[in-house]
Amino acid sequence: MTRIFSLLLLLCASPIWAADAESEALLLADYAVEKIERTRDLRLFLEAATAISDQGLGPRALHTQRLSLNLDYDKVFYPGWRAVLSDRIDINWQDNLSHHTSINTLKEAYVSWQVGANQIVDLGSINARNGVATGYNPTDFFRSNTIRSVVSVDPINLKKNRLGSVMLRGQTLWAGGSMTALYSPKLSTQSQSDALITNTGTANKNNRWLVAASHTFFENFNPQFLVFSTPKEMPQFGLNLTGLINDATVGFFEWSGGRSPSVLSQALNTEDDSRFRNKLATGITYTTENKLTLTCEYEYNGSGLESAAWDALQQGSPLAYWRYRQAIQHAQDLPTKQAVFFYGIWQDALIKHLDFTAMVRTNLADHSRMQWIEMRYHADHIDFSLQWQLNSGNAGSDFGALATKRNVQAQITYYF
Amino acid sequence: MMIQTRRSTITAILLIGIGAAQAFATPTAQEILAAADAVRNPDFSFGLTSTLIEYKNSKQTDTSTLAVYSKADTSNGQFRSLIRFIAPARDANKLMLKSGNDLWFYDPSNKASIRISPQQRLLGQAANGDIVTVNLAKDYQAKLAAEEDTQDGERQTRHCFKLALTANTADVTYHHIDMWIDTSNNRPIKARFYTESGRLLKTAYYRRYQQQLGTERPTETVIIDGLDPSWVTVMRFSNYVKRDVPDSWLQRDYLARFKPE
Repeated sequence: MTRIFSLLLLLCASPIWAADAESEALLLADYAVEKIERTRDLRLFLEAATAISDQGLGPRALHTQRLSLNLDYDKVFYPGWRAVLSDRIDINWQDNLSHHTSINTLKEAYVSWQVGANQIVDLGSINARNGVATGYNPTDFFRSNTIRSVVSVDPINLKKNRLGSVMLRGQTLWAGGSMTALYSPKLSTQSQSDALITNTGTANKNNRWLVAASHTFFENFNPQFLVFSTPKEMPQFGLNLTGLINDATVGFFEWSGGRSPSVLSQALNTEDDSRFRNKLATGITYTTENKLTLTCEYEYNGSGLESAAWDALQQGSPLAYWRYRQAIQHAQDLPTKQAVFFYGIWQDALIKHLDFTAMVRTNLADHSRMQWIEMRYHADHIDFSLQWQLNSGNAGSDFGALATKRNVQAQITYYF
Repeated sequence: MMIQTRRSTITAILLIGIGAAQAFATPTAQEILAAADAVRNPDFSFGLTSTLIEYKNSKQTDTSTLAVYSKADTSNGQFRSLIRFIAPARDANKLMLKSGNDLWFYDPSNKASIRISPQQRLLGQAANGDIVTVNLAKDYQAKLAAEEDTQDGERQTRHCFKLALTANTADVTYHHIDMWIDTSNNRPIKARFYTESGRLLKTAYYRRYQQQLGTERPTETVIIDGLDPSWVTVMRFSNYVKRDVPDSWLQRDYLARFKPE
């Protein structure tokens, strides 16, 4: 009603004001109505999706439906004390609506105690994430065995839907810097396949510890150093570095390194081939004036296979090949040494509230590719999105071997 | 001896005269700008709620609510700001930290703290530099261009200093600014923001002055796009509160922890 009134006022306003665009803007502002919004401890969204996939098994396409409920709760329940709970349940139907599978992902459940202004202690299941790159994060040491349900291949989405690890974490802060130390104990050696259990311990297959420290040495230079280890492995070191190249460009460099065996020797339990190995992800993110943000990233995995060894593995024992792929999938690592990754987001593309996101992953050893595009429209509380995915390459290649060749998914997300 | 005494007397009179002239001189353009900054921003750490309502062709197209916490950097006097998204629901609890040209964005759903460039806008028309607290006198060199009457945001005629501001460094949001400041009380009335090539980016009106944190401050800024005047953003400020934030919280590694009670 107020809006209609303001529009009428605009139409009926004196010619002097009407002639002046700035006066019209001020008149519009006079009647602007703001909705009182308050901070919320609980965030909920419900998502419904339907997809059609080509599994490379002839003319028959696979139809799937999904319903997901995501809950994030973050509450200060006593001065200095905070409780965090983050959980997601995905219910999937495949072809037949009478049969469904449910997967629960307990992302976080922990209690945090802020001892003073600068000391914090956390205990519980925590998603301890590190890394400044977008497509591949060598310093994200707690990423292994954390993904239970893949609802999108978008790397940002994959990082949202993953299990936490049970740990005790402490952090101390100072002006311009901080140090975090954490210990995560071994709780289980087996993955818990039961869909609706809390899955506590699934990501805790080893005793692990991590120390991370960062300091701002001068403006725009704030490196983060990390040391990660397990009782069975030599310490792995990490470095995260970002910098502003110009007003529109950010550069990033993420490295980890240490003495370790190759993924192949671990997957096949062959002779220990430990030596110092590097992992790296580096690139730039550039933003244009019209809200198009492009990221180009080079990725290197010193524990992965050279091109010739990767070819040989594909031609050799199928069991060894699939065990290797499984190890790579659990570790969220690259199967071969090098890859490149492009990621682009165009906000308010063509029309207001319409975002385009596109991603291309290319394995430089076998030149197989994963291509993914999303079109997303934001309404007030609802997002509508349409996603398209194409995996291409030779039969045994990185992306050519994936079960899904093509996939189209439509989804609606409602934010409460 | 007589001549010496007379010379001393003349010198003393001249010195007193110069001193008196200085004491009663009009403030410099830079001092006027600093005084206008003091009207917009308290000289202590504070928090407020900022509501942005965006219009295109008189139709409301977007609205966002942000909680802004600002603290002056003791080393350079410029504000560092922590911004928390309250609405819309899909963006709730996301954070942005701005300390000089260090800009970080934190998304609690994926635990990622990402460095962003000043060009990477998180909201519609408002640049990151618009939603945070800025002391213009720290980043710009002011020159008095004119003294003239201009219409303020309430359509009242005000006698103003027109200041021409030129950026001290390249890493600020706007290359140069024209700013009108009320001669009687140093209230900022309006400003025009330009690119290096002289293109008008936007015009801002500072209005709805209310008593907040000890003085009358503008509680609304109306931003009008330079190219498309039908694109208007109304920024309303409320819930002003004096609030200290430790220096150690204004860094990337604290973003995941930030949870105001």
